Amino acid sequence: MDFFELTSDPISIESVARRVVPPQCGATVTLDGYVRQFTKGRESLYLVYEAYEAMAIKEMKKLVEQAKKNFEISNVGIVHRTGRLEIGETSVVISVAAPHRRAAFAACEWIIRELKRTVPIWKKEVYADGECWVEGDASITPI
Amino acid sequence: MQVRVLFFGATADEAGVRSMPLSISSQTDVHSALEEIFTKFPRLRSHKLLYAVNQEYDSSDRKLNDGDELAIFTAVSGG
Repeated sequence: MDFFELTSDPISIESVARRVVPPQCGATVTLDGYVRQFTKGRESLYLVYEAYEAMAIKEMKKLVEQAKKNFEISNVGIVHRTGRLEIGETSVVISVAAPHRRAAFAACEWIIRELKRTVPIWKKEVYADGECWVEGDASITPI
Repeated sequence: MQVRVLFFGATADEAGVRSMPLSISSQTDVHSALEEIFTKFPRLRSHKLLYAVNQEYDSSDRKLNDGDELAIFTAVSGG
C-alpha cells in the first residue's frame, strides 16, 4: 500500500519506514528531511510550512505513479509536516520499498526532487529580524 | 457565475485573505480572472506565480466554470 499524508504532528520516521515493508521487497530507503538552522548563511529561528492540502495529496500520488514507471519499486509512503517546525525537526519523510536497494535509492532521490518542484507546500523562514516565504523555481506553467 | 479563489503562503499575505469569491462572466479564462484579481491586489504582480484550477496545474487559456476553484500561489518550496 502506498500512502500520502500531511500532518501538523511530529512524524515518527520509523512508523513511516516500517509501513512500507512488502514481503517481495528487500530494501526500504527512507529520507528524513529536517529543518536546517542556516540557509545561505542566515540563521532561521524556526520554519512554518503551509500546504494546499487536497492538491498536495493529488500531486504526491501523481509523482509516485510516475516513479513506479521510472523505477523498479513496489511501494512508497510520503508524510509531510505542516505548521511550525523547530530546527532539526523532521519536515518530510519519504520511504521507498523495492526488491533491490539501488532502485529504491534512485527513486527516493527522484521523488524528493519532484516533490520540491511540484507539490504545493510552502515554507516560511522566520529569522530574528524578519520572515520570508521561500519561493522555489517556478518551472511549472508560470503565468 | 462565481469561482472560489484561494491564496497560500506569500500570496495569502499579499492579498490579506486566504480565499474569496470572484464573479465572472461565462467564457472567462484564467488569464482574465487573474487580471481582475491583480486589480484588487496589485502587489501579487511582484511575484512569479503559478495557478491551479480544481487542484490541477493548468494553462492560462483554460475557461473557468461556475463553482471552479482557482488557486494562486508562488513556486512551491516544500520538502
